[in-house]
Amino acid sequence: MSVAMKESIFNGLLMGGVYGFMALGLTLIFGIVKVINFAHGSFIMVGMFTGYWFWVLTHIDPYLSLLIIVPLLFLLGYQVQNVLIKPVLKSEAEVREPIGILVLTAGLWLFLDNLALLLFGPNFRTAETPYTGQMFKAGDVLISAPKLYAFLISLATTGILYILLKKTLLGKAIRATGQNRQVASLMGVDIYKIYNISFGLGVALTGVTGALLVPFYPVYPNVGFVFDIRAFMIVVLGGLGSIPGALLGGLIVGLIESVGAQFMATSWTAGLIFVIFLLVLYLRPEGMFGFKEEW
Amino acid sequence: MKRISVIAVLLLIFLVQCALCSGCAPSEKKEAEKKEEKPAAEKVEEVRVGILLPFTGAVAIIGEHNWKGHELAAKEINEAGGIKSLGGAKLKLIKADSCSDPKVGMTECEKLIVENKVVTIMGAYQSAVTYPTTAVAEKYKIPYIVPVAVKDDITDRGFKYTFRLAAKASWWARDQLKFMMWLAEQSGVQPETIAFVYENTDWGKSTRDGWLKWMKDLGLDQKLKIVLDEPYPADAPDMTPVILKLKEAKPDIVFLVSYTGDAIKLSNTMAEMKFDCMALIGNGAGHMDPVFVESCGKNADYTFSVAEFAPDSDDPLVLKVRAAFEKEYGYPMPEPSVNGYACTYILADALERCGSTDPEKIRNALAETHITEGPATVVPFDIIEFGPDGQSIHSSLVGVQVQNGQFKTVWPPGVAPAGNKPIFPIPKWEER
Repeated sequence: MSVAMKESIFNGLLMGGVYGFMALGLTLIFGIVKVINFAHGSFIMVGMFTGYWFWVLTHIDPYLSLLIIVPLLFLLGYQVQNVLIKPVLKSEAEVREPIGILVLTAGLWLFLDNLALLLFGPNFRTAETPYTGQMFKAGDVLISAPKLYAFLISLATTGILYILLKKTLLGKAIRATGQNRQVASLMGVDIYKIYNISFGLGVALTGVTGALLVPFYPVYPNVGFVFDIRAFMIVVLGGLGSIPGALLGGLIVGLIESVGAQFMATSWTAGLIFVIFLLVLYLRPEGMFGFKEEW
Repeated sequence: MKRISVIAVLLLIFLVQCALCSGCAPSEKKEAEKKEEKPAAEKVEEVRVGILLPFTGAVAIIGEHNWKGHELAAKEINEAGGIKSLGGAKLKLIKADSCSDPKVGMTECEKLIVENKVVTIMGAYQSAVTYPTTAVAEKYKIPYIVPVAVKDDITDRGFKYTFRLAAKASWWARDQLKFMMWLAEQSGVQPETIAFVYENTDWGKSTRDGWLKWMKDLGLDQKLKIVLDEPYPADAPDMTPVILKLKEAKPDIVFLVSYTGDAIKLSNTMAEMKFDCMALIGNGAGHMDPVFVESCGKNADYTFSVAEFAPDSDDPLVLKVRAAFEKEYGYPMPEPSVNGYACTYILADALERCGSTDPEKIRNALAETHITEGPATVVPFDIIEFGPDGQSIHSSLVGVQVQNGQFKTVWPPGVAPAGNKPIFPIPKWEER
């Protein structure tokens, strides 16, 4: 196997892991709150700008600063759900097609992106962290260090989330709400509080991905859009609301993008991903792997 | 089935949102310009000129740069006593927002002509907007001066009222090749292979066609082997796959067509993956954006590009104009402002010569333009003249290299400041 091939496989796996992790927040919010969060990409952008400014202003290690960024974004998500989404959710509780929420999150998307445009201008910014441009050499294969770190931290965070959901009482309440909100509420679960927490978790996860991108990706107000499309495709590929589905879907997209490009023009790989996405939508709308929503 | 329909609805909404997002806010209200235009008398108060540019949308910042070039020139002209053959009439620029959208552009163009009664239009930066809006102006027989928009077809349709100062897209491709030939010649190192890496929309693809055509015309198709022909989506999150292909193909020369974001990602990834070659030659835009150099830092060093404007020119006129711009707006004059500035002076020159606000007479005066001195020659070529198709015949580009984070003009020898030397072949990553 040629060096370029090996490098493209590694790169595909690393990017794929990050893509999958990126889709996790979306799938979590959909699985529990049953809200399609169109502002997902904007929250990635918010996470990126938070990470960027943290680095520029404090020069704390970008990975260490996650310990502060995560609670900040959790609070943001919690309040967005509590203040903005909850009232609409309540008023639409009996509506069969709750469109209001979709319009709300889409509005949030436009609002956040344009707010960033207003505050920071349209320019691209790159954070010169100690990890930026750092490479590992394994034999003759070059591996991007910040991508590898992002991949590992993504995996670890997913593990923590998994334990939180499976092993704690809070996790049980969250899963119960995801499975059946009426019954959960009959069992004494304050479902609106669980919604707040879930949305907060989702936004925090999304923000983490943003912050993980900062050492190797330029930051600009519309950056979320690029990843947003990927995240939505991955979530549908893997099955809406499924955690392993999102991770596997991410890996598949990452590999197609990276390895596929070695056999065809780069423009085509983007198209190929969409073709697979449409096929899955048509043939297996429950997701490629048929994972049940295992909340 | 329910799931499918939910997903379908979602997708639909998503698409609508995409459309909304890339659309724009309603264009700003023109200042209430309801005064009746007096019939074209010898003495006129003001000459109304429409400036159609993208003031909102993705390239709003470039629209703004363009506008400031026009505004600065108009201010200078008016302060120097306006158009003398019209009794000191002032230039009045009227803003119109194309929203980066061809359809909006056409409506705005029509409004400028019918409601604002402009006698000339200038704009519209983007080829996609300029192409249909010049047709609107042609219909109304209103002269349309194009400072920046490179699509060849704009002046290839035999229009009588369209005049373009910018070089055509295929000329950009030509000058990339000429620049490369000059680099090879003066260094004595002959490249044998070349790779094309370009963004995959109209601009990138037409430039690639230009490379192929000019390689034949310049007799390079036998000497240079094309080892990679790679269109890429400018919004791809990860450029590593493209760079890996370059590493496999091992070209001596890489020609690029990139916007800012992708130029940054490409250069950073090249540095990471240690891709070495003799030269990277960009096609302006992203590779001439100060943000590119700022963002890539050392990784941008040694990158070549062709450009419309020598950023470090030591020509006294250029220095004067740049100083005036920086004084007025507080930042260095960016590339798109220069042509806007020059075009406003070209119009003033035509008005001066015809002494009338009749669009037909202005058109005829523009067609006879022959400017060899004055502020309009801030552009890097000496004579401004329009061919029968309205294309400025002498438009040509300069070659620039990033050296220590600064754009240095190195080509052609007559334009490049003394002391600027190209570094070719560029050093390998290991040696930097």
